[in-house]
Amino acid sequence: MAETTESYGASAIKVLKGLDAVRKRPGMYIGDTDDGSGLHHMVYEVVDNGIDEALAGHATEVVVKIHADSSVSVRDNGRGIPVDIHEEEGVSAAEVIMTQLHAGGKFNNTDDSGNAYKVSGGLHGVGVSVVNALSEWLELTVWRNDTEYRARFEFGDCVTHVYPVGPAPGRKGTEVRFLASAKTNRADGTFSNLEYQFKTLETRLRELAFLNSGVRIVIEDERPAEPLHTELYYDGGVREFVKYLDRSKTSIMAEPIYMTGERGGIGVEVAMWWNDSYHENVLPFTNNIPQRDGGTHMAGFRGALTRTINAYAQSSGIAKKEKVDFTGDDAREGLTCVLSVKVPDPKFSSQTKDKLVSSEVRPAVENLVNEKLGEWFEENPQQARIIVGKIIEAALAREAARKARDLTRRKTAMDVNFLAGKLKDCTEKDPSKSEIFLVEGDSAGGSAQTGRDRKNQAILPLKGKILNVERARFDKMLGSQEIGNLVMALGTGIGRDEFDIKKLRYHKVVIMTDADVDGAHIRTLLLTFFFRQMPALIEGGYLYIAQPPLYKVARGKSEVYLKDQASLDEYLIEQGVEGAVLRLASGEELAGADLLRVIEGARAFRRVLDAFPTHYPRPILEQAALAGAFEPGSADADLARVAAQVAQRLDLVAPEFEKGWQGRITQDHGIRLSRILRGVEELRTLDGAVLRSGEARRLASVSSPHKEVYSGVARLVRKERENLVHGPLDLLKAILTEGEKGLTLQRYKGLGEMNPEQLWETTLDPDARVLLQVKVDDVAEADDIFTKLMGDVVEPRREFIQANALSVENLDA
Amino acid sequence: MSCPICGKAAPPEGQPPKYRPFCSKRCADIDLGRWLNEDYRVPAQAEDDSAEVDSPDPGQNPARRPI
Repeated sequence: MAETTESYGASAIKVLKGLDAVRKRPGMYIGDTDDGSGLHHMVYEVVDNGIDEALAGHATEVVVKIHADSSVSVRDNGRGIPVDIHEEEGVSAAEVIMTQLHAGGKFNNTDDSGNAYKVSGGLHGVGVSVVNALSEWLELTVWRNDTEYRARFEFGDCVTHVYPVGPAPGRKGTEVRFLASAKTNRADGTFSNLEYQFKTLETRLRELAFLNSGVRIVIEDERPAEPLHTELYYDGGVREFVKYLDRSKTSIMAEPIYMTGERGGIGVEVAMWWNDSYHENVLPFTNNIPQRDGGTHMAGFRGALTRTINAYAQSSGIAKKEKVDFTGDDAREGLTCVLSVKVPDPKFSSQTKDKLVSSEVRPAVENLVNEKLGEWFEENPQQARIIVGKIIEAALAREAARKARDLTRRKTAMDVNFLAGKLKDCTEKDPSKSEIFLVEGDSAGGSAQTGRDRKNQAILPLKGKILNVERARFDKMLGSQEIGNLVMALGTGIGRDEFDIKKLRYHKVVIMTDADVDGAHIRTLLLTFFFRQMPALIEGGYLYIAQPPLYKVARGKSEVYLKDQASLDEYLIEQGVEGAVLRLASGEELAGADLLRVIEGARAFRRVLDAFPTHYPRPILEQAALAGAFEPGSADADLARVAAQVAQRLDLVAPEFEKGWQGRITQDHGIRLSRILRGVEELRTLDGAVLRSGEARRLASVSSPHKEVYSGVARLVRKERENLVHGPLDLLKAILTEGEKGLTLQRYKGLGEMNPEQLWETTLDPDARVLLQVKVDDVAEADDIFTKLMGDVVEPRREFIQANALSVENLDA
Repeated sequence: MSCPICGKAAPPEGQPPKYRPFCSKRCADIDLGRWLNEDYRVPAQAEDDSAEVDSPDPGQNPARRPI
């Protein structure tokens, strides 16, 4: 068997007559003779013979050389074209191959006996005789049987028959050198010029080198003063091909997926690599020839890819989690793939082989890719997740664009009615005179609906959806229905292609949420949504934040609304200072403006104190600051003395039977403070880090101006009442308590607690309210906070929330 | 600022910032998809009722709660 299939003598050559037509209609055989493509095909046609030898395992190298006279030679180290006499034709087989159209070893592949090539390329399958026919001259050199042979042809006719030149021991191979027939040389020439492009040749030959792993292809160009020389050799085959194609892209995986195998006599080799772009680049080849329009191999590949990824997304649970359906287009986004099939006797839709139609190829490719890609996904779960993640993103983006279109264009009666049930519109139709309040919660929406000015104020209640994420952890979000209502109410549409600020129905869009952390979070969500999806709303100055009060303070018949804790503090201090005297240990007395200044200092002190991590006890920090422990450098100058000072200070402020503080230095150069209290040791530590921290430095700077005030235990005296003051915290507490005397304080936990009149008076009435216009910079900051709130890792997120509850709450302060 | 979705730098100044604050339509669409799929959530306090438990009793001085 092996002997017969490998036989490649004269009997293996069949003859199909009719070469003259080539010169008459060269375009049909070699392609366009004017634009250069036909000229380059001449070279490829000869190269394909060498590649076929390599594919059959007889050659390892093909050398292509453009000579200075514009002739081209192609040399391989294969078996050498047979030079023995062909029985049917009576001349050497080499001569038959060169002078007869459709002659060659390739045309036997349906015949089991004497099959010289199993599969072969050949751009047009017409053989090297076409090249000969279209050449002024062609020289054939063959090394075979330890002998060098030569023959010469002119315009397709043999002018020197094959003859042995001399011995060539051990040498094998074939060289064809031809000078294409050109109009520039003769009036009846074929090609308009002989300008070979090195780059063009290099590109196609590189392709061949990738597709035929292990074959070395050398290109030389002797025309330039400095001859060009390129060697193309790729051991990794199509794997290296996709890497080469994506050399300037960012891949999302380290190595391409590589699959190879045979199904029903069809060889399949695939390399796939996903990059972070959105473009698909799948290159199919049949027997080394590219198919611009795909075909059955492409169909098989696409089917298998979509099915395998779907199956993986289902079995891994990713599909369930993301609740999105993806298509083949999503799967191929950012995919670079080379799909190479080797098919005996392939069928194409046209002469140019742009589309493969052989039906047996589809199941072969589909079957192999199904099996091997499925295996790969199972064996590489981490990379599989990355790939599926990218595909899901593609699907989400496509889905989002579709939903945006629907949302923008939906005008069905049901939607409008549903919206009408939610949106309490105003009668004014001129956007520049209209306002819409986005109100959190239904009950607040009710109050706002009653309290508003119907003429130009619209109300849209938004309900944040609560989700129980895990035990004791709840998340809030804007339901998609709520977003839909919002978009419809504003009238602008949504999505990059649909949104139109000119359609905005209200020129004041006012966010109104509760003044608590939850309200702040909903506000952050809304701000982020507007910033990201309707930036023009903010840039146009249409977005505002309402400032509903947090407190109502009543004294007798007068009522005051206060928007936040800080304003309440200021109000209470103002009340408390009235008639109060601070009697210092020295006997000095402070009142009025002097007292107010000390209280302001105490507020600053408390603000800095709040910045310390929560596990440091506040009273200890307070007293340590007053003892001078945080003065720059003091901890490093004489730590023992500082420890003693803090202990002494703590004794000073402690009640009579609770004194006895001891200060010691710890190993990390901090202070350990202890006392025995009712027989039990109480222990407090200020570690080395906190002693030398930035917060400590700031605490020292805010406490030093008022150090004298607290040098001993002071007393705050007001209306016969007396409070002991050991430090700024005591002073604040005492003055706030005094300020509250005689007042009725109401804290609004939510907008819903306000009745319609109160809501109008404080928040809706254009003459009384304070609206904050949202600026892009504020919102970029909200986005930042939002991003951190959304953080994937739960623990850092929780810490962040605790640390930033204040800043979120006071975003608009 | 960098794109909120992919983190890449936004398009250079001078180019029309059509997709701001995103780098591309793709990232803007992905973001919109997350809004519409209710993927964006912020932590909430346990439940409206449990807020009662945490709040100071009426007799206590409200000014004492940490700011």
